[in-house]
Order: sequence, then C-alpha cells, then structure tokens
Amino acid sequence: MSRTSQISGDAAPLAFNDNPAADSRQPRSISTGTQSHRLSSGGQIDRKQPLGFTFDGKKMVGFAGDTLASALVANGIKLVGRSFKYHRPRGILTAGAEEPNALVELRGGARREPNTRATTTELYDGLAAESQNRWPSLRHDVMAVNSLFSPIFVAGFYYKTFMWPAKLWEKLYEPAIRRAAGLGKASGAADPDHYEKAWAHCDVLVVGSGPSGLAAALAAGRAGARVILAEEDSRLGGRLLSENGEIDGKPVAEWLAGAQREIAALANIRVMTRTAVFGVYDGGTYGAIERVNDHVPVPPAHQPRQRLWRIVAKHAVVAAGAIERPLVFPGNDRPGVMMASAVRSYINRFAAMPGRQVALFTNNDDGWRTAEAVQRAGGAVAAVIDSRGAAPERYRGLSAKLLGGVVSAVNGGVDCVRSIVVRDAGGRTQQIETDCLAMSGGWNPNVALSSFHRGRPVWRDDIAAFAPGQCPPGMVMVGAASGDFSLAACLREGHAAGEDAAKACGAKGKAGEAPKGDDEVFAIKPLWHVEGGKAFVDFQHDVTASDVKLAQREGFESVEHLKRYTTLGMATDQGKLSNVNGLALMAEATGRSIGDTGTTIYRPPYAPVAIGALAGHHRDENFHAWRLTPSHHWAAERGAVFVDTGLWKRAQWYPIDGEKDWLESVTREVLAVRNGVGFCDVSTLGKVDVRGPDAGIFLDRLYINTFSNLAVGKARYGLMLREDGLVYDDGTTSRLAEDHYFLTTTTAKAGPAMQHLEYCRQVLWPELDVQLTSVTDQWAQFSIAGPNTRDLLKNLCDPSEDLSNEGFPFMGVREVSLRGGMRARLYRISFSGEMAFEIGVPARYGEAMAENLMRAGAEFGVTPYGTEALGVMRIEKGHVAGPELNGTTTADDLGLGKMMSKKKDYIGRAMAGREALTAPDRQVVVGIKPVNKTNRLRSGAHIIPKGAAPGPETDQGYLTSVCYSPMLGHWIALALVERGRERHGEIVRAYDPLRGEDMDVEITSPVFYDPEGGRQRG
Amino acid sequence: MAEYSWEVRSPLRNAFAPGRLGLASGDAGIALAEISDFSLVQVMARRGQVANVAKAAKKAWGVLPPEKPAAVVGKDATLIWTGPDQFFVLTAGSVPDPVPPLAVIFGGAASLSDQSGGRCLIRLSGSKVREALAKVSSVDLHDTVFPVGAAAATSIDHTGVNLWRGPDAADGHPAYSLLVFTSFADSLWHTLADAAAEYGVEATRTPLS
Repeated sequence: MSRTSQISGDAAPLAFNDNPAADSRQPRSISTGTQSHRLSSGGQIDRKQPLGFTFDGKKMVGFAGDTLASALVANGIKLVGRSFKYHRPRGILTAGAEEPNALVELRGGARREPNTRATTTELYDGLAAESQNRWPSLRHDVMAVNSLFSPIFVAGFYYKTFMWPAKLWEKLYEPAIRRAAGLGKASGAADPDHYEKAWAHCDVLVVGSGPSGLAAALAAGRAGARVILAEEDSRLGGRLLSENGEIDGKPVAEWLAGAQREIAALANIRVMTRTAVFGVYDGGTYGAIERVNDHVPVPPAHQPRQRLWRIVAKHAVVAAGAIERPLVFPGNDRPGVMMASAVRSYINRFAAMPGRQVALFTNNDDGWRTAEAVQRAGGAVAAVIDSRGAAPERYRGLSAKLLGGVVSAVNGGVDCVRSIVVRDAGGRTQQIETDCLAMSGGWNPNVALSSFHRGRPVWRDDIAAFAPGQCPPGMVMVGAASGDFSLAACLREGHAAGEDAAKACGAKGKAGEAPKGDDEVFAIKPLWHVEGGKAFVDFQHDVTASDVKLAQREGFESVEHLKRYTTLGMATDQGKLSNVNGLALMAEATGRSIGDTGTTIYRPPYAPVAIGALAGHHRDENFHAWRLTPSHHWAAERGAVFVDTGLWKRAQWYPIDGEKDWLESVTREVLAVRNGVGFCDVSTLGKVDVRGPDAGIFLDRLYINTFSNLAVGKARYGLMLREDGLVYDDGTTSRLAEDHYFLTTTTAKAGPAMQHLEYCRQVLWPELDVQLTSVTDQWAQFSIAGPNTRDLLKNLCDPSEDLSNEGFPFMGVREVSLRGGMRARLYRISFSGEMAFEIGVPARYGEAMAENLMRAGAEFGVTPYGTEALGVMRIEKGHVAGPELNGTTTADDLGLGKMMSKKKDYIGRAMAGREALTAPDRQVVVGIKPVNKTNRLRSGAHIIPKGAAPGPETDQGYLTSVCYSPMLGHWIALALVERGRERHGEIVRAYDPLRGEDMDVEITSPVFYDPEGGRQRG
Repeated sequence: MAEYSWEVRSPLRNAFAPGRLGLASGDAGIALAEISDFSLVQVMARRGQVANVAKAAKKAWGVLPPEKPAAVVGKDATLIWTGPDQFFVLTAGSVPDPVPPLAVIFGGAASLSDQSGGRCLIRLSGSKVREALAKVSSVDLHDTVFPVGAAAATSIDHTGVNLWRGPDAADGHPAYSLLVFTSFADSLWHTLADAAAEYGVEATRTPLS
C-alpha cells in the first residue's frame, strides 16, 4: 500500500460538511440531515443518492456507497452498543468484518436479524437498526452497574460463583446470566426469506480483491485459466479503496478502475462480490457465503437472501489481507477509540471524518499513515503518540505534535472520548484533548484459511505477527495475508501466484507484467500492554489484560485453556482482533516466547454463517426429497391419509364419511379384506432384476435358503443375513425365466439391499455372470387380498387366463393378459394370510390399475386399504417385519431357523453359528395377548416374570409390534421374549414405565389367525 | 362388463401446469420440459460379451455404446452411459414392452430390463440453465468439461439421476436431460422449478422426438 503523495502535496484541505447546503451538488429538495462529520468531497459515495435510515429510532441520512457504520460516523454517532458482560458503552472500532463492537439488530418482525456488524452492512433506504444489550436505552443502560462490580466479574466468575447448588444451573443461573450478558435477540418467528446452495468450479480461486488478489486474478485470467475472484465486500479493491498511493504510476483509484475493466472483459474470470470464503474442505472445496440480498430491505421475488457456495478449485490464491491489531491500554474500549486503518477507511472511502481532533497511538510505521490521511482530508491531528519515541524517517515532515510514550488513560463520557493521558518513559503525564483516538498495534496476516487443515501459523519477529504455516494442498497465501505488507510485494506476489496457478492448470497464455507499486518499509516494535487500568483484549467478550494474567495464575496456561477459561476469541468475531494480543500477554506472563505459546486451533467458518444458509432449500416441505407411489394421486383424490415411511408417502388408511378415528377406518379395511376383497399399493418394496446364467448361484450365496432349484414360474420367501450372522432383510423372489429372477426387499432396506447386492456382485463374486438392475420404480405393484380375490381377478383378466388353484397354485408366478389390452405379472403370494395375489404393471399404468381394480371388484365391495391394515393383518398372521428384523435377531429368533440351508455356504452362515447367536435363552418371536381383553397393549413394553421386581436383571424381552385385532376382538402383539417358544401359555407382565402401565399378558404362538394357513392356499 | 382402459399417467401430472413459473416478467431464463412418450431399456453386457454388445449396437443404431460417461446419439436411439459395461437405450414412442425388439438385437449378449416406467425424463435449457443447475448439481457444466454428449451418473437433492448434455437448443442455449426415478420425479421437479424460479421458467410437456 503506497504512500507516495506527500502530506503537503496537491490535495486541497477539505471542509467539514457542517452546513449541508455548502455542497453545491446537493439537490436542495433533499435534506442530507445532520451529516456533521461528512467531508464535502471525495470518497466513493454518491452524494446524489441520499438514503434515509434510523438508529434506535433516530432518523438520519447517509449516501449510497455507505455502510451503516460509515453513515453513523458521518452523522457523528460514536456510541453504538453495550458490551457483552459489563455493559460498557462501545463505539465503532473497525471498518470491516472483524468488528467486535458495532453489532446491531437489523430489520424488524420475522426478519429481525441480531448481531449484525454495522461495518459490513450496506446502507439502504429505510434501513432500521437498533442497538443491543441495553435497557432502557443505549445512553442509560441500568445493567451498566455490572461495570461497577467488574472487579469481581472476572474470568471464571460464573463458574466459581454459581457452582452450588448445581441443579439450579439450568433453571436459574444460566437464564439469568443470559438475560444480563448477551447480544441481540432472534425474532422467534420463521424466517420468511429463502436461502439456497450452489456449486461453482474453477481452475484458480482468488480469495480477496485487494492489490494481491487483483494482481493474481489478472495474471491467471490473462493466462487463460478459469478464475473465480471472491470478494467479501460489495466492491473490488480491498485496502486500495481506503488508501492513497500509486500503482504503475497512476493513482490507485485510476489503476483500480482499469483493472476492473480488464477483469470484466475477460470472460474466463467470474467475479463474486459480497461473497466471503469461510472454509476449506477436502479436495479443493471451499465454502463461501454470498450475501445476495442483504443490502436490500426485502429480497426481490424468487430471489434468495443468501447463497451458500461450494467452490471446487484446482488451485487457490488466498489474498485475504491482514487485520490491524488493537493496542491494549487503559480505556481502549471507549467510544471514539478506533483502529487507525479504520479511520483511514472512513476518511478515504466514505468521506466521513471520525473526529475533529484525531489523536494517533501507534507502535509501528503504518499507523502514521492515518495522521497523513487526516491532514490530507483537512482534519486536525491532536497528537501522534509513538511508543518507539521517534517519528519514522518518512513522516518527519508531518506537521503534527509527536509524543513518545504511551496512552495511559482515556477520559470522556458514555458517548465519546474527550481527552487522553499520555505517559512518557519517565512517568510524566500530560493530557491531550481529542474526540477520536486512532490506534495501531501492527498487523496480523489473515491466516485463517491457511490453518483450517491444521496448518500451524509461524511467528515472525520482524512483523511481530503470525504468518501462514503449512497451507492445505493447492493453496498459496500471498501479500499481506502471507505477512508481506508493502504494496509492491502484494502486487508482485499476487501476480506470480496467479501466473503459477494458471500454468499448473494447463493455461498457456501470457500473464503479462506484475503491476508496480511502492516498496515501503514496515517497521514495528511490539507494545503488548500498558498498565494502569482496565485494558481490553477481547472487546466483544469483555476479556481484559488482567483476565489473561488471572488465567495464567490459576493454571490455565495452555492457549486452549486460556480461550475456554476467559472466553477470549470465542465471540462471533472469533478473536480476529484479540487472539494475538491475548497470546502475547500469556507469553509475557509465562516467560515463553509468543511462537512457543502458539495459537489455538483454527476452525471454519471464518465469518458467521446463518443456519438458514446452511439449510438452504431444505426446510419446511422441502426438508427432504419425497417419493410418491404410482397410485399416490389416485389415493389422494380419495382422501387417503398418508404416512412418511422413509422418503415415501404411503396411504396409511382411507377414511370414509362418518368414521370417528383411524382405528375405525383400519378395522373396517381389515374386515373388508378378511371377508371380501381389498387391495393395497405395495410398490414401495424394493425390486431387483437379477439376470444372467449365474443368477441362481448368486442368490444361493445371498440367501440362507436355496434359489437355484426354484422352478421357473414359482416364488419363494427368502431371508438374508449380514456377515455377522444376524438377519439383514427378507422378501419373496420369483423366477421368471431360467436366467431371470425378480427379487423383492423390504421398503426400508430397498436402497441398502441394492448396494449390498452390487457389492456382492462386483467385489465378492466378480466371477459370476450376473447382472442387477433396480426396478423398484419400474413396477406399480398391488397386493389384492381376501376370499373374493379370484373373482375380482376373473373380471380383470382376459377370460383365457386360468386362475384356479390348479391353474395358478399358491406361490405361482406368471405373466397374464388383462382386459383392455395390458400385460401384467401376477404373483400368488400373501402377506395378509388371505387368498391373495400381487399384480405388477409398469408404473405409468399404476393409476389405471388402481381404477381398474375398483372396477373389477365393484360387485364385491372391493376396499382399498393402507399400511395400517396391512400391518394389522401381518401381525394377526405372525409375519415378521421391520420391528422384528431390527438388526439384533437371528433367523431362529424369528422362527425361521429351519430355512438355514446346511448344504451350501451363504453370507452370514459361519457367524450365525456363534455361541451367543445359538444360545438357548435368546429372545425369540412370540405372540402376546392381554389377560384382561379390554387392555390395550403398547409396543416397547417390557416382559417381566410375574412377581419379579422390574429391572435389567428381570427383563426378558419386549413387545415389538402391536395392533388391535379385528378378528380376535382385542389387542395383540408380537414380542421378542427369552426362551419364548417354550413358554406358550405362561402368564407374564407387560411393564411400561414410560406410560405407567403394568398388566398381565399371556405368551402365545405368534400366529393368531388361521394357523393352518388354509385361507391363503384355498 | 365394465370397460377397462389403460391410460398412461405422468408422475408429474400434479407437479405443474404448462406455462410460466417463477419470475413472471421478462424472457424466461429457463425452459423446463417434461419429455413424455419414450422407451428406456437398461442394457448390461454379460460376462465377456462387451465386444458383441458393442457390435450389435453399432449394427442397430450406427454408433458404439459409450465406454465412459457420455451420451451417443445414433439412428433412432440415444445410448447413455450408466456404468461400466452398461448403458440405457432411449427411443421415441411409448410401447407396453420395449424389451423384445432389443432382445433380438443383442441376442443373449446382454441382460435387458425395461425402465420406461422407472424413470421420468426432464429437459432443461435456456440462458440461465447453468446457473439454475449449479444450485442442485455438483457437476461442472462448463463447456470445456461437460460438452455436448457428456453424461454423468450423479445425484441431485439426494436423488440418483442420469444427466447428459444433448444437442444445443434451437436458440443456441445448452440443453441438459435428466432421467430421474419415477417416484422421485414430483419432488425433483419442485426442486428444479424452485432453483429456476428467479430466472423465470417456461414449463412444457413434449413427447420425445
């Protein structure tokens, strides 16, 4: 950053805009209000576009190009907030994303947005901001009494004071503390705005558009690489917007305009402004947040408020700049004390003079530029206090009062500095009148992005700061972010890095010459702490220098302990200003070097990211994707009630007029099936085409039972185990041709089972000639059940089809012709225990099938039924499902042990033989009936022997599936019970401490209804 | 005797009405179309039959099946890569069972599964099509990376899709086709329409030609 212009140069002194009418360009009809601190010319604001806004209800005016902070500065507002813990009055400290003090509530109603940094909030017409953490008003905050007790409110105060009784912590202490100490409040209402996520891809990602970033983007762009230039600000330029100087012999503003024109002309450079890169992830993926519509009151229709980007970059050039470090001295938090670089930003970029008598306190050369900037703009410099005792060579000509020593006190009121006390090396003090104290403690390279993969920053004595250590793969840090602060170095490094990155990506074009700037010297002599009063290290969390020393005295020497004990660096600004000062103080207290003291772990996000942005589109009805069955719309039009099962929406029951509750509807549906005929959409079951000459062998290895010997035209129930011998999934598989099986899975396991099958095919048995295709979505499949099923099918099928028991036996499968010219697959399988078929047609005919089933069954009172009735009927039949196939049961537990083939190997066979999996006291599937038939059973109730005290030692199992059985007229359940098969007829207790229920129940066979199975075979 | 008819119903029948969606003013930045009346068959080469499958495809449609993620336009069919040694054959026109004619073409060299009912075909085009797709897809759609004929088996909104770039639309904008599982189609359509809303959407239903 250059400072070629001399203070006595050509820039004419500017007058304060005390009288708005003094600016002749200002239309008379528009009042610019009280912009008492606005300079009458200069800056990158548009004086023709006044914008009205309010702060704590007070009406003010700023200009287009202002931030909320710069508009407040222009209006002479210094007090903007109250601190977190002590409620101390605070002012605007910075002009950027690192701001710890000027946090406000923006907007109102459901859009209220707490803790928003005024320094990054672009001003818009009608903006309404409120200060935070004060009552009844910012000037008169009753909680400011906290400050009087600050000697006892030290680090660790809450932990020490509110230890006992500990049970009051959640109910009393924490709510009370949170009320007293805190920031803004969320609206409590749903956010009406939309957020979204997006991906972007490039060869070279350039983070930051200061001189280093612009040079990098230009070099890479000219060379022909695909470049993304991400800039947190609304404008390109970084510090160039706030500094004077020259690049390539032109004033920075002129050079910047040229660079922007060139970038705009290069189609391979994508500029993303208002976009902060906040994280680095694996594979060159960068997280960024774009504030698409934060600068308008309400986003335009269909536009998001913010957009979360995942930028995938082959290379990244991080030119994130540096952050100026505060000095730690008594009173350094009073409104009117401001970072020296921020003072320059307000003057140069926003034409707002933060004070009428600006004093400067610095320990390095760079701070002096602020004195220069104040004078150039026509302001007055009250004094320059340089702790090193002498003016740098370059500033010897500056006509300002120079004092060696330190600022030892800051005097003033709630709203502003009035004077400071300067103490020299001999202890002599003098008072200086000032209303704005600029401070510069040096610069911290913005190393965050370099450290997110555990790269440890490295201490450099020459700049008294941490510089980047090992960067994540593909990333380089350049310019001020790498600790090289001169404008020339920034331009040179940025250009070289951009060129190198482009070349590494295969770009062949010429990058051109690096822009040239001033190679100024950065000299600093650290000053870490001025004794003599409350000196703040972490402004946002009210951590003082003495808190750091207290932490050390109490043994919290590790930087991670220091952080957690004092909350240093844990506020929303994540210690951007405070961490290094805290580490330096700890180093001093422990006698270690700062490098040895080290830094805490850096973790993303670098800047606050709203949860709404992380959720993106996935909220409310879009929380997750949904799956619809082929008959969904048909069912919806009949008034079906749907239930979410995984992603699916399934018809749960079909209420009809006059039914008072779900139980009545479900009972009607069950009785309709058991006494007549009904149908249910079962398309959600996973379906897989298993094809190829080795399909049979493949299935033999997959299932515990054998499929290679299944005849074409037959179906068989199969059970799969996991490698560990426990049951994985079940379903029927049909053989449609010699080399074609049609396998079904449960609804829940459809996806995982397909993955499992592919794993077996590709990894375990690549020698088998077998091909798998998921056809779950291809087939609309309906279960038709009940004694009148065959009659319904006779109406639906072509008369030539033989559906008799001989022509279509139980477990038979074949393709049939339907009336109206359709082919369907018909499977005689039953889940309900009734005479039943499943019928499948391509999904696009699913709705037509539902309609035609209604038509074909009209004369038999055909009833569509939902998943509840389906569940009731399977429980009545003792068929196991998800609650029993729960990852803890073996085939034998489910009563299916006999299916385990001894003639072949299959997945899980060896492990299923483990002692624990074959132990005689395992919990196995049984039926449960209440002794008192009016009792309702509850799933999850524990089985306890009669007379035993309930507890883990006496617990013998639990109820897995429960329903009201319309056929038996009372509640029934399936349960997993220890040695259950030997105990049919025994009375035990179903104990449900959750609902406070305890009742006698009888262990029975799990098959409650039609145990001989005559109905399904008839 | 009741009349039985077998009308085809789109999984998107309730998802939209053709016309303008989202931003109502100005030119629509996105053309979003449900493409109907197609046949889709999964072809998977049997062990050792990759060359024979390729030969058969070449004979039938004049093009070799893609060996990498790509979509190849042949005579009367588009062949879309779905994985190693497997691809989709996409043809115009809806028939109850498209497998038998393909069984003749491939003989016993390939396993064939009808997916005409298992997938829904959506096409996106327009001046803002890349911006809209960038909100839902992690695939880099830049011309140099994803030119005409490129394909990807990927996921959108946790939903598996086959995405490919067909010939550019008549107005010169790129056109991307998406095959999505039928049961996810309604959900995915809403996601796409939401992503495209800020650019203005012209939604249509068109048979595959």
